[in-house]
Amino acid sequence: MAVQKTAAAEAAETKKAAAGRKAAAEKEINYRDPKYYINRELSWLQFNGRVLGEARRHDIRLFERLKFLSITSSNLDEFFMVRVASLKDMEHAGYKKTDIAGMTASQQLEAVLKATHDFVGLQYSTYNRMLIPALEQEAGLVVKQYEDLTPEEEAFVEQYYGEEVYPVLTPMAVDSSRPFPLVRNKTLNIAALLTRREDAGPSILRAKRGKKGEASEIDLAVVQVPSGLNRIVVLPAEEGKPVRVILLEEIVRHNMPQLFMHYNVLTTAVFRVMRNADLSIDEDEAEDLLKEIEKQLRRRQWGEAIRLEVESSIDKRLLTALQKELAVTDSEVFRIDGPLDLTFLMKMYGLEGFDDFKEHRYAKPQPVPEIPAGANVFECIRRGDIFMHHPYETFQPVVDFVAQAAVDPDVLAIKQTLYRVSGNSPIIAALAKAAENGKQVMVLVELKARFDEEHNIGWAKMLEKAGCHVIYGLVGLKTHSKITLVVRREEDGIRRYVHLATGNYNDSTAKLYTDVGMFTCRESYGEDATAVFNMLSGYSEPNHWNRLTLAPLWLKDRFVYLIGREAEHAKAGEAAHIMAKMNSLCDPDIMEALYRASAAGVRIELIVRGICCLRVGIPGISENIEVRSIVGNFLEHSRIFYFENGGSPEVYAASADWMPRNLDRRVEIMFPLEDPEIQKKAIHILKTELADTEQARVMNAEGEYERVDRRGKEPVNSQLQFCNEAVAAAAVATHKDTRVFTPEMAPSEDK
Amino acid sequence: MAAQLFGAIDVGSYEIGLTVSEFSKKNGIRVIDRVSHRINLGTDTFRTGKISPEHVEELKQLLLEYRHICEGYGVKTYRACGTSAIREMVNSTVVLDAIEQQTGVHIECLSNSEQRFLDYKSVAARGEGFVRFIEKPTAILDIGGSSIQISLFNKDRLVTTQNLKLGVLRLNDALKMIDAGERRRDYVIKELIDSQLTVFQNLYLKGHTIENIILVDDYISPILQHTEITGRDPGYIDAETFRNFMDTVHRTNAQDLAKKLQIADDNIPLVYISGMLLGCIIEACGANMVWAPGVTLCDGMNYDFASANGFHAADHDFDEDIIACASSTAQRYMGLPERGQQIEDICVKIFDAMKKYHGLGARERLLLRIASILYDCGKYISMTDVGKCSFDIIMATEIIGISHIEREIVASVVRFNHDEFQYYGQLKEKTDLDPKSYLTVAKLTAILRLANGLERSHQMKFRDVKVRVSEGKLVITVPAGIDLTMEKGLFRHRAEFFEEVYGVRPVIRQTKK
Repeated sequence: MAVQKTAAAEAAETKKAAAGRKAAAEKEINYRDPKYYINRELSWLQFNGRVLGEARRHDIRLFERLKFLSITSSNLDEFFMVRVASLKDMEHAGYKKTDIAGMTASQQLEAVLKATHDFVGLQYSTYNRMLIPALEQEAGLVVKQYEDLTPEEEAFVEQYYGEEVYPVLTPMAVDSSRPFPLVRNKTLNIAALLTRREDAGPSILRAKRGKKGEASEIDLAVVQVPSGLNRIVVLPAEEGKPVRVILLEEIVRHNMPQLFMHYNVLTTAVFRVMRNADLSIDEDEAEDLLKEIEKQLRRRQWGEAIRLEVESSIDKRLLTALQKELAVTDSEVFRIDGPLDLTFLMKMYGLEGFDDFKEHRYAKPQPVPEIPAGANVFECIRRGDIFMHHPYETFQPVVDFVAQAAVDPDVLAIKQTLYRVSGNSPIIAALAKAAENGKQVMVLVELKARFDEEHNIGWAKMLEKAGCHVIYGLVGLKTHSKITLVVRREEDGIRRYVHLATGNYNDSTAKLYTDVGMFTCRESYGEDATAVFNMLSGYSEPNHWNRLTLAPLWLKDRFVYLIGREAEHAKAGEAAHIMAKMNSLCDPDIMEALYRASAAGVRIELIVRGICCLRVGIPGISENIEVRSIVGNFLEHSRIFYFENGGSPEVYAASADWMPRNLDRRVEIMFPLEDPEIQKKAIHILKTELADTEQARVMNAEGEYERVDRRGKEPVNSQLQFCNEAVAAAAVATHKDTRVFTPEMAPSEDK
Repeated sequence: MAAQLFGAIDVGSYEIGLTVSEFSKKNGIRVIDRVSHRINLGTDTFRTGKISPEHVEELKQLLLEYRHICEGYGVKTYRACGTSAIREMVNSTVVLDAIEQQTGVHIECLSNSEQRFLDYKSVAARGEGFVRFIEKPTAILDIGGSSIQISLFNKDRLVTTQNLKLGVLRLNDALKMIDAGERRRDYVIKELIDSQLTVFQNLYLKGHTIENIILVDDYISPILQHTEITGRDPGYIDAETFRNFMDTVHRTNAQDLAKKLQIADDNIPLVYISGMLLGCIIEACGANMVWAPGVTLCDGMNYDFASANGFHAADHDFDEDIIACASSTAQRYMGLPERGQQIEDICVKIFDAMKKYHGLGARERLLLRIASILYDCGKYISMTDVGKCSFDIIMATEIIGISHIEREIVASVVRFNHDEFQYYGQLKEKTDLDPKSYLTVAKLTAILRLANGLERSHQMKFRDVKVRVSEGKLVITVPAGIDLTMEKGLFRHRAEFFEEVYGVRPVIRQTKK
């Protein structure tokens, strides 16, 4: 007995000592040490690299690869206009503070430019060496240079030029009396060096650029490639023969001598300028936010040049002249070995006749089983909460929800937040109709949604005209939450219907982005939704929230609490597990909480499509964290969060990523998924994506992403699986709906 | 009965609140929407007696928005009540009229007692929780912007209610003026509170133990709904836990506190003052438990609407609270309870018998009862000028649940019970009564005078009196065997006034042996 006591005491002591050491070690760890983090800009470039990786995959259909390459190009443009521009601003302002990875703005800028040069090299190697040959050989699609045109093709092009292109060209010369013209952001332009022909009269385009006494005869001129015309010009071809196309800039360039008749065109080069597109709006001072944004948008075209793309074969003198006029450094000049601005590949994707080279395994959005086509959405919602997974399930019920509310005589009010909407939005039309029908319609239009500002100003004006009460949100915060509230007068009193989602009210992107949404008419959600709109209208926040958690006031603290709670469960030996899916992860407080939770033994599985500044596999810190990214046919966009909570799991969806901008500077909403069936569906989404072997890439200890090791695993393409599941679920629902007869039993013998 | 919607607007000193509620027999009161917006009207009024033009403009805009919200739900009935900031405005008539003209919203200016009564009703509307809580000696502490109201209960009946000029905004302004600095802030607040609380304590709390406190306020109550702070059911906190909470509040800087309590930074000083007020009351009463039901004036308005429209049967007799309060006042001024009760009984009998002739309702009946209880309270000051002194006492006394106008009606009735009646056109002193209210004064005075005349001897001769109207006469029947010589002698003069008012001649008859 005495021996046993001693052993037990020893064991207890050992355990205590181990716990003490662990506590001491934990105390010593500096979770904010920069070495534990990845710079967010470099992480973003890695993400774009993963998209480019898809363009380089031979097992992906050729035209889908074009699409991926095009996406990398538009992504990069946006990255420069916003992120690189912001780094430049910081550098100009002498901002010395380092980021979470310990880099100053200058260091980041240098690293980003270097990485981008490498990235662009890879983009064009993909284009020139992989895609162009494959297009020609496999698809019979040839991108021709002007000099390769046949006489018939040349005749066609000349006619096209004369009739369509020439009338819209505006050649602009540069001399001492005519300053360098405004080269609009992202437009394609052709620069030329000219000399006066000897047989012509005196020059009117004289620019004195030589040294004193050495008047140069060379003039600079610029022509914008018309952005209103299709960049891909399809050449006439006989049926069954390869399709041949030529790019518009090739045609313009070839005709440059015609534009400058008394000049010799010495050299030409296509170029493109990227400008700082950040709007600097002082919302406190702005009397009318809408007008202020309109003013700033006009200024965006004149923003500082931050990137100059030129053809790699550009004449040195021409490049020097452009660099000087646009004030860009050498590192900001990108010599491009191919056509500038690869976003035209998206148009190429749309060319007819190449269906065999496109992906068809992904089914169209399927009906939501709980809401049959043509059903009264309100009746369906009254039966219970409805969860939707787009684009596998159609977004149409959301459109119907607003459209039916607009004409329903019992609907009293509709309130909605709008961040990005489609070009010809049926939701906007329904809201306007509702206002015309005398409903009280309140719409929050976020005017500051980047690159959608102009669209949104247009919508805001239109909705106001229709009689909607349009608000622009809270000063200093972007309203990114996606919420709709419909107030309906019913037999037993007022009932509120709420739609909450992770994605925008955009019926177009809802076909391309993966998002989740939920309909409910539970009173607790209705009360909270009402309070959200009251807050957005400038009224005081409520004393308490039933279900929703809002940023910027409470969401970050809530996440940190939920993560910390898992750590406590792990320490207590209880079930602790986090599964979280989002677009980006770079909030320092959240990352620190995750490191602490991992150190406490919590298993953390993260599905982060884009930026992830956290590192995995750091001994004692992030050994329990796995990060994977899915880049696939659809853009992963939903945000779902699972917390094991000692065996009583909690599942949430949110409009927010784990980024400071979402948690500190935006109005975001997180909502719990409480219905057990809905919880199951959300968990299924997470687990399926965590099992993805086809489109997922996993972060390694070096912070690089690599394909999933598929050995011994069933191949899983999560997006494809969701499509198939949606088709099956819709088929079951349709079968139930269409069963119009029941077999009549034969009368029994003894009757 | 179909569900009805009602909008309640509280034009408070610091915040303007709105609730939109649905009333139905099935579900009772269901608050559908609740918004509030901060406009610091109180600071304007308390300092200058007027609301600044900017704030008036902001208030108009807000009321228009509130109207819009109400219309969005299809609300057809609303009530907007102004409290101390509106009440203490010197130009309230002009401003309220301008607001009504431009917004279509009529703001009713509540007297302090009406406001507190509504607050009290909103607490009582919590039903079971309230009933259980007031079984023990309880105080309701109602913290407003301009003043606080302390109401004491004993054996589930209201004993007394007192108003102290210790409102949270008033104290906050005083602090700013004193400029005490962070270090001496606690000391100064406590001094300000104690200077008034000590008197209340000596007058009303001596020898009494108050075990429970019900808190009605805007700043501490929301915090006490967090169970992690109270360690109990939402709204309940024991005295010790509250003391610890306040220690934490004292030790934490404002910014951290705002974050921790999830409230706006601007509210922190008000949380601080409200907390200290509650702390001082807990100490003064020796209370053990606090309940903050988290109700607002809007909840009180909702309760009133529900009761008036048959959506809610009151669990608690609020009229009896008002009567109890009046009795407590009478007692303070050495009134004779038995005689008061006798006069009240006769008054009520005459009032009920004359129903067809006076056209008055339950509310006036209540006022008559109050007047009869307080019929000679002025004797405490002067035996020779009872009417005037009674009038002054009543006008200076809080009688919870009645408006300023109603108080003046009661005071006037009591006054003219003793003094010569002055007709409206002859009034020499300033009055807030309009001719219609003054007519009520005349009608009630006529009844009180008659009843008082019958009970002149203080002998309780009319205990079993019967009253009826017959053949155009008010017949007061007294049992046989009682000597009515004095009463009959005094009766004539009083009967003349009664006949003048009602056109009905009162007569006394005695049953035959």
